[in-house]
Amino acid sequence: MIKYLLQKEVLQIRRNAFLPRLIVIFPIMVMCVLPWVMSMEVKNIVVDIVDNDHSVISQQLVHKIESSNYFIFHGQPASYSEALSNIEHSKSDVVIVIPPHYSRDLTTGNVPQVLIAANAVNGTKGAMGASYLSKIVTSHVNPNIEAILSRITTLNLYNKHQNYKLYMIPALLAIVMMLMCGFLPALNIVGEKEAGTIEQINVTPVPKWAFIMAKLIPYWIIALFVVTVCLLLAWGIYGITCKGNLVLIYLMAMLLALFFSSLGLIISNYSDTMQQAIFVMWFFVVILLLLSGLFTPTRSMPSWAYLTTYVNPMHYFIDAVRTVFIKGGRLHDINYQVTALASLTSVMAIWAVLSYKKNK
Amino acid sequence: MTSIEVNHISKSFGTVKALDDVSLSVNRSEVFGLIGPDGAGKTTLFRLLCTLLLADSGEAKVDGFDVVTQMSEIRKRLGYMPGKFSLYEDLTVRENLEFFATLFGTTVDAGYDTIKAIYSQIERFSNRKAGALSGGMKQKLALSCALVHQPSVLILDEPTTGVDPVSRKELWEMLGTLKDHNITIVAATPYLDEVRRCERVAFLHNGRIQGIGSPTEILTQFAHIFNPPRIDRGANNEAESIVQSSSNENVIEVQHLVKAFGTFHAVDDISFTVKKGEIFGFLGANRAGKTTAMHMLTGLNQPTSGTGKVAGFDIRTQHELIKQHIGYMSQRFSLYSDLTVAENIRLFAGIYGMDDDVIARKTDQLLERLQFAEHRNDLVGSLPLGWKQKLAFSVSIFHEPSIVFLDEPTGGVDPATRRQFWELIYEAAQHGITVFVTTHYMDEAEYCDRISIMVDGKISAIGTPDELKSLYGFQNIDQVFTHLARQATRSSD
Amino acid sequence: MKEFISFVIKESKHILRDRRTMLILFGMPIVLMLLFGFAITTDVRNVRVVVVTSSIDHLTHRAIVRLSASEYFNITTTVPTPSEAEQLIRSQKADMAIVFGKDFAANNGRLQFIVDGSDPNMAQQWCSYATQTLALDELSGNKNNYLKTSPINIKMLYNPQMKSAYNFVPAIMGMLLMLICAMMTSISIVREKEKGTMEVLLVSPVKPLMIIIAKAVPYFILALVILCTILLMSRFVLDVPLQGSVFWIVIVSLIYILLALSLGLLISNVAETQLVALLLSAMVLLMPIVMLSGMLFPIESMPKFLQWISAIVPPRYYIAAMRKLMIMGVGISEVMHEVVILSIMTAVLLTLALVKFNKRLEH
Repeated sequence: MIKYLLQKEVLQIRRNAFLPRLIVIFPIMVMCVLPWVMSMEVKNIVVDIVDNDHSVISQQLVHKIESSNYFIFHGQPASYSEALSNIEHSKSDVVIVIPPHYSRDLTTGNVPQVLIAANAVNGTKGAMGASYLSKIVTSHVNPNIEAILSRITTLNLYNKHQNYKLYMIPALLAIVMMLMCGFLPALNIVGEKEAGTIEQINVTPVPKWAFIMAKLIPYWIIALFVVTVCLLLAWGIYGITCKGNLVLIYLMAMLLALFFSSLGLIISNYSDTMQQAIFVMWFFVVILLLLSGLFTPTRSMPSWAYLTTYVNPMHYFIDAVRTVFIKGGRLHDINYQVTALASLTSVMAIWAVLSYKKNK
Repeated sequence: MTSIEVNHISKSFGTVKALDDVSLSVNRSEVFGLIGPDGAGKTTLFRLLCTLLLADSGEAKVDGFDVVTQMSEIRKRLGYMPGKFSLYEDLTVRENLEFFATLFGTTVDAGYDTIKAIYSQIERFSNRKAGALSGGMKQKLALSCALVHQPSVLILDEPTTGVDPVSRKELWEMLGTLKDHNITIVAATPYLDEVRRCERVAFLHNGRIQGIGSPTEILTQFAHIFNPPRIDRGANNEAESIVQSSSNENVIEVQHLVKAFGTFHAVDDISFTVKKGEIFGFLGANRAGKTTAMHMLTGLNQPTSGTGKVAGFDIRTQHELIKQHIGYMSQRFSLYSDLTVAENIRLFAGIYGMDDDVIARKTDQLLERLQFAEHRNDLVGSLPLGWKQKLAFSVSIFHEPSIVFLDEPTGGVDPATRRQFWELIYEAAQHGITVFVTTHYMDEAEYCDRISIMVDGKISAIGTPDELKSLYGFQNIDQVFTHLARQATRSSD
Repeated sequence: MKEFISFVIKESKHILRDRRTMLILFGMPIVLMLLFGFAITTDVRNVRVVVVTSSIDHLTHRAIVRLSASEYFNITTTVPTPSEAEQLIRSQKADMAIVFGKDFAANNGRLQFIVDGSDPNMAQQWCSYATQTLALDELSGNKNNYLKTSPINIKMLYNPQMKSAYNFVPAIMGMLLMLICAMMTSISIVREKEKGTMEVLLVSPVKPLMIIIAKAVPYFILALVILCTILLMSRFVLDVPLQGSVFWIVIVSLIYILLALSLGLLISNVAETQLVALLLSAMVLLMPIVMLSGMLFPIESMPKFLQWISAIVPPRYYIAAMRKLMIMGVGISEVMHEVVILSIMTAVLLTLALVKFNKRLEH
């Protein structure tokens, strides 16, 4: 029986003028454009230097900053206030002020006070700019420090080339799946409600689970397809491949797809109009996304917010997929995430079946 | 004096010629009918007159103003009621009326005289949301809204589809009174009794005017379309006698069934039985509780109290078993319009557990019988309404259920197609399928073996059409129905 | 004028009676503001550190104490070999490991950070925080007083507490105002087309232009209410100061709201069904707004090609202007550039929307 229902769903998706195109074009667009966009890399920090000392040593520091690849050197305004107005005009991001007597202090062994003022409206940018600048200044003030610092080495595991795209591609997978498998099913049942065809189905002896499964499976297949396209594009365009076992990625993707299509179905079971369904879905999607650790570290969240990650499927998905994709983790590394996501998903799937009422 | 003049109007949508060289004229304060099957071009013509569409060629004048160049003059003088309910369902009755009054730069009080006859009937619900009104009341309100600015021309596009006979009569009686206000009325309708109320009618078919004249002239001239001979149940008599002799077995048994929504008893203590092979007509005004009762019998709703058995199964506990033994066709069109004819058949047959090869064989037979074979791979959405309904019915009995439930299966369908539809119903009954049907067409009620009439959630009459006619002493079921339905008090809750 | 007012009232009733949508419309800004204000931060905090050492001496001990005392780091465990630490990082039990060299205290030992480099930004920040915590003080062995006082005085302008809310409040305004005005207006017009009520409206003598403007007014008011909600919340709940003049903030927002309404009208002209209007708004509006407006991701790090595209995304200018006006507190003259671009865009879109509005049913 489910065979016929499935055929119907597939035919309906295929016949739709818009959906097949969306399913193909959307992941491609996302993979081609977003990795370039979603870079939190801090680049192009524009720096102004106010040199109040005008000595050879202070000019050394100026040259040191100028020659750093990290900064774009803007100029040497005469005063701090002039530099500030540059920041207000968005002409520069950071100002460094070298105090008078900088060279004299250095030679006499006093500690000069260098001021670094950063535009911190964008917090990350300000902080990173300031910390880089202070490193340069510190080592200029005290050459010994270099020796001390040289005793510290840093080993970057995994993302050795510090490639932000590598970090973001698992996140993109999650976003694409969430949008495709969340919104389309949400619209699906409400659509049948508005067209009145659902009543016809309700008077047939179709078991609830069969009807819901027939609605879920096509989105499962779509998810499979979408994941494959995304992985191929990541390899083709960015030369990024999965370090770990692809089967694990697919496993997680299938679980996540099931979760979101169940959520979509639940919402549409409770909604009367498409507009409502879309709005409610959107609400959940935004919250799940923001609290998932996709863009920001979950561990920095206050504890009440961190608690929500225990029921956030995106959080488990992102953790697990990043582990497998970037670090080459194996099943036992992501055991916990798989179990958690699987249990969340089965709760949702059962709810989806239960919330569909054939007999009121 | 002419109120509307149409000269050689043609209009195409893509390759489809919706209107082809149409000319007609309507006199002032005339009641003019526009009739024709689904897709004949009626709505297109109305939209042209309402200045909503531009014609490809030809010209038209409404109240002496050209529809192209003097658009704004026409829009001041026109009342228009489109086919779909044109009300804001989340606004109350009063709010709707006030809104449309202000829209035309007038007030409800100023236009009250014109609409009084109609509006006074719904005035007591003025604080109810329009969406919660019954079909008949919605149409009365829509008509009030279209009339509140005292237009000189009123255009009505099938104003009574889905409205029960009593409300339809009332609506047309009110239209009759508008003549005194010098209002010209142009209306489209599939109901023959309404056609007869017009002074002149034009018959539109495939975008062309086939004839204009008095209703009697047109109806006689095109009798084969409008007044098909009554269905001959000769072939059926035999079957009927078989059924009657063979079984007194009840396939539907209902005792004291109640469905309450809050304090409102939509179905209020009904009891009846339907015998195997019967065609049972389940009549009632809008909001009398027919659809709710049907939903309980088909296992869509749980009854609040009372018991019932359908095909031997309890409606309370065994509703999923019932569903295996019934077919259902609902008021709203219920096939998937984005699937083809064959795909729809296959889907629903498959749901009832039929095998692929059985489906394939029976599909061929069915399409052959309906002379549908060439449309096998057409999308259902592209078929005319009448065909869709015939197809939906065939699909609902495809798995040979013991009972089929039909909820207003012929709403908005033209007479000829309705007749074909009823031939299908008889055929099904001959095969021993019990037919449980609701309808607003009283001529169809006469086709039933037995009918019940529901008023205010209760069954107030039940029996064969002849029994009921003699019991109440009326000529036809229409009068019986009107008599009983007018006793309703429910609408005042 | 009376027609107009009754139109506006009718439209407001539609909005007010759809409870669920209303709930989302007002719930969304509040939830977003709270999330960005309190839950989501890019700060470095609670980094899980594994200490790798074969033997604990006084120096390593002091280093460990120091690390765990810092709010940035939590020491989770101590393991003897780096490969064990690596395994912990791989299975997400730790974020970074600090490897102390053999006989650390004795021979001025070496120190290695092993970090999970998946997120390059974070990895970098963890290292520099760890260096600051450990290196300057501990490694020098307190021999050098010179370093007791830092030579640097850092001043974070406009956002001294480094709250991400400062960055996001203008972004949320840009997104929500666009969404509410454009999406809701277009859907409400298309719904009338779908329900058939548009036919009756068009047949009435009311000027089509007025129908459209009257439809826009309630959403305009709704947008203003939401704007106020956001501003009040950011001031009193999130403690984001309104540095600049409230007058100009409102004026620029008004221009932007007008622009969003015109976009909504344009969409409603193109779309025939609610579904199409919804998808158009979601795909054509939402995605570019979130991705290309500089709301989440800095525009200057994008490739040139995308920067050009982002030049025609209106919220980009609005968000930039709001960041300057609200957070930096500069005068209106500093954001003239953005305001002029926004005004031109508004004028163009509004003209287009009005010219394209159909007085009849077909094009």
